[in-house]
Amino acid sequence: MKLALTIAFITILFSANAQTSITGNVTDASGIPIEGANVYLDGTYDGGSSDTNGTFSFSTSETGPQTLLVSFLSFETYTIVIDVSAMNNLKITLREDVNSLGSVVLNAGTFSAGDNSKASVLSPLDIVTTAGAAGDYIGAFQTLPGTSTVAEDGRLFVRGGDANETNIYIDGLRVFQPFAATTNNIPTRGRFSPFLFKGTNFSTGGYSAEYGDALSSVLLLNTIDEPDQEKTDLSFISVGLGLGNTQKWKKNSLSINAFYLNLKPYQEIISQRVDWKKPYESLSGEAVYRHTFEKGLLKVYGGLNYSEFDLVQEDINTPEGVNFGLKNRNLYLNTSYKGSLGNDWTITTGTSFANDHNDIKIVNTNVDNNENSFHFKLKLRKRFSNRFKLNFGAEQYVGTFSEHVSVPDSDPFKSSFDNNSTAAFTEANVFFSKKLAMQIGVRGVHNTLLDYTKISPRASLAYKTSSKSQISLAYGDFYQAPQQDVLKYNETLEPEKSSHYIFNYLYQNNRRTFRAEAYYKSYEELVKFDTDRPEFTSLYTNNGRGYAAGLDIFWRDNKSIKNLEYWASYSYLDTKRDYRNYPNKATPNFAAKHNLSLVTKYWIEDWKSLMSATYNFASGRPYNNPNQSVFQNEKTKTYNSINFSWAYLISQQKILYFSVSNVLGFDNVFNYQYANTPNVDGNFSRRAITPNADRFFIVGFFWTISDNKTDNQLDNL
Amino acid sequence: MKTIIIILAFFTITATNAQSSYEKGMTKAFELWGDKNPDEAINLFERIAKAEKENWLPYYYAAQVHIITTFSIKDAEAIESRLKKAQDYLNEAKTYASDNAEILIMEALLNTAYVAYNPSVYGMTLSAKVEQLYQKAKVLEPKNPRATLYHAEWKMGGAKFFGKDPKAFCPEIEKAILYFENESHDIPFYPKWGKDQVKRVQENCKG
Repeated sequence: MKLALTIAFITILFSANAQTSITGNVTDASGIPIEGANVYLDGTYDGGSSDTNGTFSFSTSETGPQTLLVSFLSFETYTIVIDVSAMNNLKITLREDVNSLGSVVLNAGTFSAGDNSKASVLSPLDIVTTAGAAGDYIGAFQTLPGTSTVAEDGRLFVRGGDANETNIYIDGLRVFQPFAATTNNIPTRGRFSPFLFKGTNFSTGGYSAEYGDALSSVLLLNTIDEPDQEKTDLSFISVGLGLGNTQKWKKNSLSINAFYLNLKPYQEIISQRVDWKKPYESLSGEAVYRHTFEKGLLKVYGGLNYSEFDLVQEDINTPEGVNFGLKNRNLYLNTSYKGSLGNDWTITTGTSFANDHNDIKIVNTNVDNNENSFHFKLKLRKRFSNRFKLNFGAEQYVGTFSEHVSVPDSDPFKSSFDNNSTAAFTEANVFFSKKLAMQIGVRGVHNTLLDYTKISPRASLAYKTSSKSQISLAYGDFYQAPQQDVLKYNETLEPEKSSHYIFNYLYQNNRRTFRAEAYYKSYEELVKFDTDRPEFTSLYTNNGRGYAAGLDIFWRDNKSIKNLEYWASYSYLDTKRDYRNYPNKATPNFAAKHNLSLVTKYWIEDWKSLMSATYNFASGRPYNNPNQSVFQNEKTKTYNSINFSWAYLISQQKILYFSVSNVLGFDNVFNYQYANTPNVDGNFSRRAITPNADRFFIVGFFWTISDNKTDNQLDNL
Repeated sequence: MKTIIIILAFFTITATNAQSSYEKGMTKAFELWGDKNPDEAINLFERIAKAEKENWLPYYYAAQVHIITTFSIKDAEAIESRLKKAQDYLNEAKTYASDNAEILIMEALLNTAYVAYNPSVYGMTLSAKVEQLYQKAKVLEPKNPRATLYHAEWKMGGAKFFGKDPKAFCPEIEKAILYFENESHDIPFYPKWGKDQVKRVQENCKG
């Protein structure tokens, strides 16, 4: 017995020490040997690295079926389960990891900002250090190709589309009133403070099936997941005061932020062309709460804004001017959850709600309107493999609008509508290889107010032509319901439609980026009416149509000159449309044929200063001269503006900031307003529509108080 | 009785075998790294990590080799893919050792590597994170010499950038030297590197 046991042990020990050799060769898909691949038996110490010929060889004492793993940077790990004795002269081909760097990117139509995107052209900091943007999140996007300079408006005009054709989303949920309330020729600003966001995608066309109800463009803003640290931020600016505080706990964090803006002291010093009865004043507060679950992240955002102003605007038909007063209250709530469901399923869901209330006075007419909007979205994503992913989801919009107009000596006029729509979308993301990828999707929407159902296909394709360059194509159909000003009088229209065809070329090499994009966009079913502006008695049709075609060029170089970063954008735009009250197809006033932006940022080490200068140019904008027989036949002079900003880092936590727009004081003209009736000579006289002031100055002091002495607010500027 | 002895002996043999293969493997990996064979060292650390299960050290060292390697290469794609892989290793390490000061210090070095490689893109976004990681590491282990030394070096860099005197942080280096002397760990291969870097950092205190 003892002997038998001893023999048994010896046998076990002996057999355990018997060695089998494992040999083979590792190559990539094209047969080129891979050096340095890690080849080993799972769960053991037995393994080796492949040599310059891709050959590997090692021995093991394991027997029977074992798992052999082969891994290498930027390749998918290869796994095979076979008997150890059969692991001889193995021919192993590794597949490229399509998620790794250097893979093709589906980017037609899109500009990404943020360090998480491979096709990023702007860093988050760029968005806020661009001169002329003056801390407005939207300002930096107006220096990208595909946008038109419409300085008197402040919103985004993309590829021949008007500002209403761009929708803005925060964490995938719609922002209903992204811009501060304003009036004609007083430029607006984004409502959100830039520090909330970690990354953005600005699509100038051909965007994903996840987004709808926008004819031209979507701007996707993503809020930060976790603040870096606890801190208090104080801002003292020539036009207002700001206070922010961030607290962190183990799984929770809370940021609050308040800003008071009052243009009165500023406007008393700097003369204005507008007669302000009550200069712009606003108070806003924001709070973001984040909670980390084991498998997900919840974010709750709430913002409340109150603003007020009163002014008298020049008007060619009214010598004493037109008095306009506005009080706006806006509440926005956004709650989103993103998490993993296991088994490569992820869920993204959330709701957003907005209440917007305006109390407007135009001469002696009082307009009160109230709008409630609600958005719910649920999106699921299944990752079948690195090479095939499927997204699908559904969303619901609920909107109610009511307006009450009272004019002295007549009955008040009331209008209201409920605009609800339901949409579903699905999209597949396929990587055929590291070089070729495709995204194909479809979106269906049903609108209950106008009672329509529309299906829109979306597709994009990208192919890597070399290690530094790629080409991509995108196509999509887009529908958008008519705007509020029309919907309050008509509920029988069809949605407006556009189709995008995009061809993109991208070259990226060593911190230099060149991007060229050619596009054609058709417009159909545009809303028309037979009066100057939409009215109750107007006759509405969907007979409008138009097109936009152009070429967008972008060049960025962070490399050639030390401490200097710059980018240049040029857009060529050829567009005509017959819409609203146009008598025929014509180029709208907001669409200049040539737009050019040059943005430079220079870091002066010795002065601890970031100097930034931006030049904007736009060719003349079309306007209509009623003294002429052809509609929209004249052009304003060209638009020029040079903006400058200087951020001086006093210490790591204190920054002094100075900025001035239109340094050289170019006299810019946006448009002309003509008299309604001809003068004694039979001519319609006119008035130029110009900026309210030649220049705008900002002086600010920003102070961050935290335990951590390295943080500052440079990224808020 | 004899049987029991034989059985015991058998288990002792296998046990020492297992013990020694970990030690042999780790020693070999450090040798490979020392012999300027970083990729083979990484491969071996990875194999050990996979075989050991629930041991954060091999992942930690695999990450360290990747991070250190990026300081001597220029190719942007290689740097980014190595740093990305290093973060993957550290994430693995964290699943076996949560709230570990050494892993946080390594993560701070990883983010420093990003900043060093492309300051204009990563400087602003990652600086606060690096600071936070060192602070967190020091809360967990106030007398960790590496946290003390590298945090001081990081702050000296910041001071120099803002035209201030980096010498303000020299007392921290003295502390780090003291902590290095008192450092002892029972766990084999527990991080104890960095003492040889003191001189380099102290260059800032001269003149």
